[in-house]
Order: sequence, then C-alpha cells, then structure tokens
Amino acid sequence: MSTAIETRALSKRYRRVSALTECTITVPEGRLSALIGPNGAGKTTLLRLLAGMASPTDGTAAILGDAPRQDPAFLAEVGYLAQEIPLYRRFTAEDHIQIGAHMNPRWDAAFVRTRLAELRIPLDQRVGTLSGGQRAQVALTLTLAKRPRLLLLDEPVAALDPLARRNFLATLTSAVADAEGGLTVVLSSHLVTDLERVCDHLILLAASRVQLCGDIDTIMAEHKVLIGPRKDTAPIERTHTVVQTVTTARQSSLLVRLGGPVIDPAYQVEDVSFEELVLAYMGADDAAAVRHLTTVGED
Amino acid sequence: MNWLVWRQYRTQGALALALLAAFTAVALWQGFQVASQWHSMVATCAGNSQCLRPGDLIRGVANGVPYLTLIVPVVLGALWGAPLVASELESRTSDFAWSQSVTRVRWLAVKAGWLLLAAAACGGVVAALVTWWSGPENAQLANAFISPQFDTQGIVPIGYAVFAMALGIAAGAVVRRTLPAIAVVFAGFIGLRYVIDGFIRPHLMAAVTTYFNVTGNFSPPGAAWVLNQGAVSPTGQAVSEVYGFWLYATLPASCQKLVPGGAPTKGASSSLNALYSCMQANGWREFVTYQPASRYWPFQGIETGIYLLLAAALIAVTFAIVRRRDA
Repeated sequence: MSTAIETRALSKRYRRVSALTECTITVPEGRLSALIGPNGAGKTTLLRLLAGMASPTDGTAAILGDAPRQDPAFLAEVGYLAQEIPLYRRFTAEDHIQIGAHMNPRWDAAFVRTRLAELRIPLDQRVGTLSGGQRAQVALTLTLAKRPRLLLLDEPVAALDPLARRNFLATLTSAVADAEGGLTVVLSSHLVTDLERVCDHLILLAASRVQLCGDIDTIMAEHKVLIGPRKDTAPIERTHTVVQTVTTARQSSLLVRLGGPVIDPAYQVEDVSFEELVLAYMGADDAAAVRHLTTVGED
Repeated sequence: MNWLVWRQYRTQGALALALLAAFTAVALWQGFQVASQWHSMVATCAGNSQCLRPGDLIRGVANGVPYLTLIVPVVLGALWGAPLVASELESRTSDFAWSQSVTRVRWLAVKAGWLLLAAAACGGVVAALVTWWSGPENAQLANAFISPQFDTQGIVPIGYAVFAMALGIAAGAVVRRTLPAIAVVFAGFIGLRYVIDGFIRPHLMAAVTTYFNVTGNFSPPGAAWVLNQGAVSPTGQAVSEVYGFWLYATLPASCQKLVPGGAPTKGASSSLNALYSCMQANGWREFVTYQPASRYWPFQGIETGIYLLLAAALIAVTFAIVRRRDA
C-alpha cells in the first residue's frame, strides 16, 4: 500500500518557540487518522505544514510522494479545512460552489448540492447567517467537493453540538468509504470517543513532539495495564516501556508498552482503553516525551 | 479566479461606476456651462485684459472638483487595495482561497491585476474630465506645474491611482490588518505627494536659466514654472532675493547711494532708473531660472513614471510576501 503522508524530522519554529519538533510520521493511503494532543502540542502546525500553508524550518514532508508546494497539481490533491471554518460570511453556499468550480480542476458541484439538500442547509442564504454546525458542514462538503486524495481537518467538530457532530462525522466516513482507499484523512479533535469510533490510525502529539503514530489496533495491542503489588519497577522496565505509573497504598498499576511477554506472575495483565492510553501519553512531560519518541505500527 | 474577483467586487464596482457616472454628469453639465460663459466673456472683454477672469466663474460651487482627482486614488487604495490581502488574513478566508487548486501567486496576480486596472481606469476617467473641465482656466494659467493644475490633469492622476492602489495592497500584506493598512495608504500617499510636489518635481529636468540686462525685461513665455530669479553680481554671485536688503548689501558703494531710503524695490518708479543703470554699468545682470512651459508633457510623463515604478516595486514586495510567508 502506498503512503499518503511521510515526514522526516519535520520541525517548525516561530522565533524562539518550537511549535513542532522533529516530527517523523507515516500515514498509509486510505486511512482515517486521528490527530490528538493537548492544546499547543503542534497539531495545527503539523496540518498547516502538510497542507503547504506554512513552510517547515527543518525536515521534509512528502504528500502522496511529493513535497508540499505552490503548484496547482499539488493543491488539487489536498483538501485543508482550518479550525476557524474559513468561509466568506457574506457569500451564500452557492457562491462558494461557484468559486470552487472556478478554482479547481475536479469539482463535484452536484455532490455539494445533494449533500446540503440532505442536511436541509439552504444554498441561497448568506453563510454568515447559518448556525455553526451548518457552516462546518458547508465547509467540509466544499472541501470534499474538491475531490482531494488527502483531507486535513483541523478541529472541525469543536464547535458542534453532538447531533451536528454525528452528521459531520457521518459525511466524513461515507466519503472515505466511497473513495475506496483513494482518500486519506487526518482529523484533529479533542473528542477522543468520536475519534475512536471513526478512526483507524493515530498520531499523538505532546509538547511539540510525536508520541505515538500508527494503526490504532496495533497500538492498543501493544499497550497493557499491569496491576500488581507496589514494588520496584526496574525489572519490568528492562523489557517493557512504562508510560504511566499509578500507585495506591497497596498496589500499583503500570501502563506499559510491551517489549515482550509479561513473565512476572505478580502482575495481572489487563487491556487499556483508548481514552486511558491517549490521556497517559498526552500527560507526558517533556523528558518523557523524548524517551517515548518512537513510531509503532506498520512501516 | 476572475469569477472570484467579480463576485467579491461586483457590489463595490457597481457603486464606483455609479459615482463615476454621477461625477461625469455633473462635470459635463458644469463644464459646458463654464465653456459658454467663457466664450461670451472672451467676446465682451475683447481687448480688456482686466475683465477676463474665468477663475471667478469656476470657483464657487464646484471649486473642489479638481481635487477629486486626488481623492479618488487614495480612497480606492484604502477601500479596495488595503483589504485585498489584509481582510482575507483577518477573516481567515485566505485559508479557503489558498487551499483551492490555484497558487497564491496566481490568486494575487489576478486580484491585484484587476484592481490596479480599475484604479488606472477610474483615475484616468476623472483626470480626463477634470482636464477638459479646466480648459478655460488653463488658458489663463501663469504656471502649469503646480497644484491643483499639474496634479489633477493630464496623465499623472493615473500614476497616483495605480500607486495608491499598490500601496494599499502592499501595506495590507505587510501589516496583515486592514485598518492600519488604510492609515498607511493615507499617510504614504499624502507624504509622497508632499515630497515630490515640493522637492522633486522642480528638478525632474535641469532648469533653464536666462540672463538679461538689469535695464531690460524678460519673462519666460507661456505657463512656465519660475523657480528662482534675481540679480547676479559681476563676480557671478546670485542674489535671488530680488531688490531686498541682501542685494543692497552686495551692491557697490557707487550704486548704494542711488538707492532711495536704503531699501529698494524694483518698480516702475523712474527714480530707480539711475540705480539700474549703475548696476548695469557695474556688470550686474538679472536672471530667471525656470522650467519652460513646453516641458509640461515631459514632466507629466516623468512624474507618472516615478509613481508607476514605485507601484511596481510595492507589488513586487507583495508577491514576495504572499508567496513566501506562512499563511
């Protein structure tokens, strides 16, 4: 399977602040990837670098084999929807359809009209007068109408109510399904449960660095919670990587990335939930962030 | 791309056209009235130079009309130029526009191209009307090179309009906010006009200096621009303060005693003829430094060129910023 996104030590500095540090990730084509991380972890920076809206200070990125660049052929392949849902507020949805038709080689105007009719969003009303949820739907539908092969969505559902969010994600998953492997999505959000439901790939950023990147099932299988007596964790750390330790008066619970089978019978091995796993990595401090800088999953 | 420009500017464009049409109507109506009055005055005042004062009939209600050629460029630059990049960045619609399959360079080329063209057209139409409208007054001009004649007529207003638009576009791209960019347009346009009007225009071409006898008389023909005049001593020292104290101080003693009251003024008074003859006898001459009236169009061309070059530089800066800078 070919690669949709491949970055090597991609870095972005704004004056003295590092927004993204040595980000190395791989996203195979056809995946729906969740981009997770605390505020300020570098999610927006990563997406803007991939979309070619910003240029890296260091490192390289390849989108469908080519570096992001100002070139109609490249721009046509990538759909980028920024956090602020950028639309011309005084223009109608129909105006936006026309703009898109004049500015893109492949443009599926019929798709936008059909989809917005399904969602009962008026085409002839100024976008600024629509609700936040409707605006997000219009923006996503327009981004999809470009028929990109890579879709980069920056917290598009943040402002939406649960119903609008479900509609939005439904639009997204059906688009991925319709494309039959020809559409790759990176979706950033704080709503971990939503992401768990729709995504099959994970990129986790914390403190401007990649903590995890790979297939969600593989990552889940590699992480276990070991529950056992409070004792020195050094023997465990020889084979496994301890991501997080939670100790009570009598026992400790270790979230580990397995480096092999768990031999010590004192520990009870349990599955970890997606949310626990994500929270554990998101809480990683800078020192830990460096320690866990590895990529798991398919290569 | 053209469609986006059309969609974004059709309302403002229609408004601008309506205003332009209204101005044209007023200027034509006024202009014909002025022209007919002018002709009747020429007929009645034949031979009496004192009564021919078309300026009086033009001034009054429509006194401000020529100044429109100065207001139009700066308003267009502020209202259309400044927001071109800045408002898209402010409202983040740049993220929409720049993630379509059109490069930023092309996006800017098409938008800036149309706006610069619109500015040139508006500036040109208003300038043409004002030039025609001012015809009667122009016939009476003593100096065609100063405001509000030189800079409201001919082709320089086109240069002003293109420059103000380019300044607005570039300022918007640099400061990334519309209101400060508008302020830059006003400050920059007024500032540059002040500098060029006051300090650069007089030297666009090397001025002509004519020397003549103190007892004689000379004035440059037509609506020439007199930059300096005065007397020159036999040693070549020019005293431009005509017949003031400094001239008095530099005169030879033999001539000084001919000056009535010690502070002479050149006039028709026959008592000064002795002084002039004395100066003449001592090798003094008078001079006039001026730009001949025939240089009106070369000056218009050079000044337009300066503004167009500056506009080109500003547009080049805008392209560099939009292409390189992170969106």
